[in-house]
Amino acid sequence: MSQFPDPIRAGLQRGWKVLGGVHGALPAKITCDVAIVGSGAGAGITAELLTQAGLAVVIVEEGPLKSSSDFHQHESEAYPSLYQESASRKTEDKAISILQGRCVGGSTTVNWTSSFRTPESTLRFWQERLGLKDYHREALAPYFDQAERRLHIAPWLTEPNENNALLHRGAQKLGISASVIARNVKGCWNLGSCGMGCPTNAKQSMLVTTIPAALDHGATLLVETRAEQFVLDGGKAQALRCVAVRPNSAPVAPGQIATTIVAKHFVLAGGAINSPAVLLRSKAPDPHALLGARTFLHPVVMSAAVLEQRVEGWAGAPQSIYTDHFMDTQPIDGPMGFKLEAPPLHPVIMATTMPGYGQPHADMLAKFPHTHVLLALLRDGFHPQAPGGQVKLRSDGSAVLDYPLTDFVMEGARRALLAMAEIQFASGAREVLPVHERSHPYTSWDAARSAIAALPMKPLLTKVVSAHVMGGCAMAATEAQGVVRADGGHWQIENLSVHDGSLFPTSVGANPQLSIYGIANRLAQGLAQRLTGRAVVLG
Amino acid sequence: MQRRSLLKLGLVSGAVLALAGGAAVLLRPGLEQGRLSASARGLFASLGRAILQGTLPVDAQARSRALAGMVERIDVLTANLPPAVQAELSQLLGLLCTTPGRLGLAGLAPAWADASEAQVQAALEGMRFSSLALRQQAYQALHEIVGGAYMSDESSWAALGYPGPLPL
Repeated sequence: MSQFPDPIRAGLQRGWKVLGGVHGALPAKITCDVAIVGSGAGAGITAELLTQAGLAVVIVEEGPLKSSSDFHQHESEAYPSLYQESASRKTEDKAISILQGRCVGGSTTVNWTSSFRTPESTLRFWQERLGLKDYHREALAPYFDQAERRLHIAPWLTEPNENNALLHRGAQKLGISASVIARNVKGCWNLGSCGMGCPTNAKQSMLVTTIPAALDHGATLLVETRAEQFVLDGGKAQALRCVAVRPNSAPVAPGQIATTIVAKHFVLAGGAINSPAVLLRSKAPDPHALLGARTFLHPVVMSAAVLEQRVEGWAGAPQSIYTDHFMDTQPIDGPMGFKLEAPPLHPVIMATTMPGYGQPHADMLAKFPHTHVLLALLRDGFHPQAPGGQVKLRSDGSAVLDYPLTDFVMEGARRALLAMAEIQFASGAREVLPVHERSHPYTSWDAARSAIAALPMKPLLTKVVSAHVMGGCAMAATEAQGVVRADGGHWQIENLSVHDGSLFPTSVGANPQLSIYGIANRLAQGLAQRLTGRAVVLG
Repeated sequence: MQRRSLLKLGLVSGAVLALAGGAAVLLRPGLEQGRLSASARGLFASLGRAILQGTLPVDAQARSRALAGMVERIDVLTANLPPAVQAELSQLLGLLCTTPGRLGLAGLAPAWADASEAQVQAALEGMRFSSLALRQQAYQALHEIVGGAYMSDESSWAALGYPGPLPL
């Protein structure tokens, strides 16, 4: 038994209204003021604010309710229970692996805690190119301030782990500025296990903050329950049909609706990919063919280095140092910029990420304690040749993202592999392996530079992953440009709002959680005001 | 069009493998009720020997035990995948377990159980660098499933020098 108090189990004992799975059967019909689809970043913030405004709220989550007592820092437990598709979600052509949460708290339960406000360059693009006049720094600042206070977001002042310190040292050697990342943690144990669910409840995810607050205010949480489709009529969502699902997302009773939720208002916050999919299944009006389009991933490429000293990339806070040098030194709508960070390293991720097989693969794995990895997040959505992907439905109604990796994107990936290798050699790496099927460990920057310049930058040869899914229900100043208005309200469906990362009309250009918190905070305060006439504030 | 692949055969590529309960979904032939068929178990044992050569224990008995454990974990993984992904994986495994599929997709002449590590590695190399997206996808899926399943259990961590999580 864990020595840590489990706020979820305590809440259940206090009588929280949780149904679905082991928590009890769903009634055939549920009536409420607002039904929220999802329980991640946008859903959690919205649920807390709407319950504070006195509204009767129902939260619908496809994944299970797991909490600190269930989090044992094991990939073998975390991936199947907390992630979409057992953490093996892929784009349609299988060229990009996507890590996305599927549990109460959504991706905030399993993310690596990196917290950035939406970059000013991104906001300027939204204002100037897309007409989103209210999305400027000053207008958003109070909403970010509130979210940062609520979620204890502050720069990580503890010494970075060696994996991150190497980024700092390498960048410094090259005269590149690198800074400390802010994290949403309170009393963090510096374990490095954030991706498997925080066992100490230090991470201020939605699981331990806003969702408990909403439940304490009387909200109802449905788990292992998938929002299947809206019943649309007369320009309004009349109801939401939901199915009960098994741990692997298969319906418990195929073809059967487990519950129908009738609400005055609906908020879609199931995350990019899944939110547009609900609207696609609902055959929602889409007069300008924008639904599910422009879905962004911040495609990620990686570079693995071997150091003389032990790195132990599994230990200590992940992603505590970053550099935006390669974003800030070029125009946002030019060749792709990228952000560099140093991720946590664990056995399954290591074995699946390192290319090849047999003795060469074994040799790389044997150097795990000395391995340092950098990743580059490519900023997609700002150039016509980086238009993102399209969410589609498979024949069984499940969602899949078609994301073509264009030559333009892959040219950015090549520059990113070069930049990472140069930093790694500057930080003292003995060898560097750009993660690509055609590469080998190189022992000097000169050798790496010429090898990377010659690599065929093709999908399925270059390892590309993502943990940031954005867009697909873009907000826009005019009906012809977006799925929802600047206030989150759907252009064609009067009582439906979208409050998650699928709102973003481009990628964010930074780890998106705080962008979602801040923007959902503003949208949910507006929605509470419209529905109740009451002003509420997060915090 | 290459990237759409020639057959409509998608593949799971489990960054992950794991242990959780699962649903029973009727699928043939690679998966039966969401679990590995007998021939798919043999396929993964053969792939494990080739992909993990150098990482597996040297002692023959220990190696057999390690591979058997990996196959068990793959079986648990498949049960936990969503139905659409199970269906794709089932097609791939089913195809690879037929003689024409093994020849056409993997380019391997002997049966999986009879092939040497070097023969399986040569087949993997052909898929990895194939000009057909489908064969590349198959390689990526098998590589990730095998590597992920093997390293998901603490019995394999010594090969990585990974001490396991800090006890709390």
